[in-house]
Amino acid sequence: MSDTKLVAEARTQFGKGAARRIRRDHKIPAVMYGHGTAPVHITLPGHDTMLALKQSNALLTIVLDGDEQLALAKDIQRDPIKPVIEHVDLVIVRRGERVVVDVPVHVEGEAAPETIVTTDHTSLQLEVEATHIPDSISVSVDGAEAGTQVLAGQIQLPEGSTLVTDPEALVVNVTAQVSEEALEAELADAEAEAGIEREEHDEATDEPAAAAEGEAASGDAEQPADEA
Amino acid sequence: MLIPRRVKHRKQHHPGRSGAAKGGTTIAFGDYGIQALEPAYVTNRQIESARIAMTRYMKRGGKVWINIYPDRPLTKKPAETRMGSGKGSPEWWIANVKPGRIMFEISGVPEETAREALRLAMHKLPMKCRFVRREGGDF
Repeated sequence: MSDTKLVAEARTQFGKGAARRIRRDHKIPAVMYGHGTAPVHITLPGHDTMLALKQSNALLTIVLDGDEQLALAKDIQRDPIKPVIEHVDLVIVRRGERVVVDVPVHVEGEAAPETIVTTDHTSLQLEVEATHIPDSISVSVDGAEAGTQVLAGQIQLPEGSTLVTDPEALVVNVTAQVSEEALEAELADAEAEAGIEREEHDEATDEPAAAAEGEAASGDAEQPADEA
Repeated sequence: MLIPRRVKHRKQHHPGRSGAAKGGTTIAFGDYGIQALEPAYVTNRQIESARIAMTRYMKRGGKVWINIYPDRPLTKKPAETRMGSGKGSPEWWIANVKPGRIMFEISGVPEETAREALRLAMHKLPMKCRFVRREGGDF
């Protein structure tokens, strides 16, 4: 768990106008709260914060007016299109304090042939010491047969952590692949219904259908089966 | 093809196309996805065509999630018809997609396979899209 130091400035102006000015200066508006203290509105350096928050559950040291404060990112607001962090909520933590965090699950190993591995819970809630948050939890599916289910309670957790997520929650599910014939039949039906024609060279190379959808030309709109 | 089983009104106004997606902007189920970068009306045929394209490429190895649903009807008046005489008949079923929306997700395949499968699927869609990964995507 890395400890990144960020030099923050106190914020005196609020509202969208002030926030937009801060973002134009390549900085990030943020708020820091926790342990019953009043919320502190701050400005963080944009690039350094973005690099620090690439890691999940990064422990940050916020330097504000010479005082150092340990904090975890509780909520990060990102622009849905642009690679920009719009706002960060920081929660103050103390050394040795236990916190509840979402730790990502990493699936390792190769399951048995003819199977599909699906991760149903991509992260687990753990109660851990704030200064010893694990980067990830590894779940091995090496050689797992179809029908194998890994529940949250069955996962070997890092030392010093307690599971908060329901122990019966399904984390990894190993299912059998659909048979070649069933998949081909299903796709052929779907293509026929959608009016997609596969060309011969597509069949030979097994590349996806290159035929146009032709929806506007067909003019056979599906009517609702039933109206209220 | 995806189509509503029953609707309250057969003919609706055109859905608004302004703004960005309010939700569904992060990968929720799979490991890789297609994110819309422009607003568009995506028809049920385009959704089905994209699904078939990616499923054919991945063969039996992956799982596909479709996060959009074509629940809005669009109408069309017949060709060479004079104006008036009411609204045309329902012609298409569309999903109103705003920029930022994750439309398809897949899992269970290596990244190279996922990139190619989703690239093929993107060619079936009517807007600019990009490939995104679970861990932060392109950010």
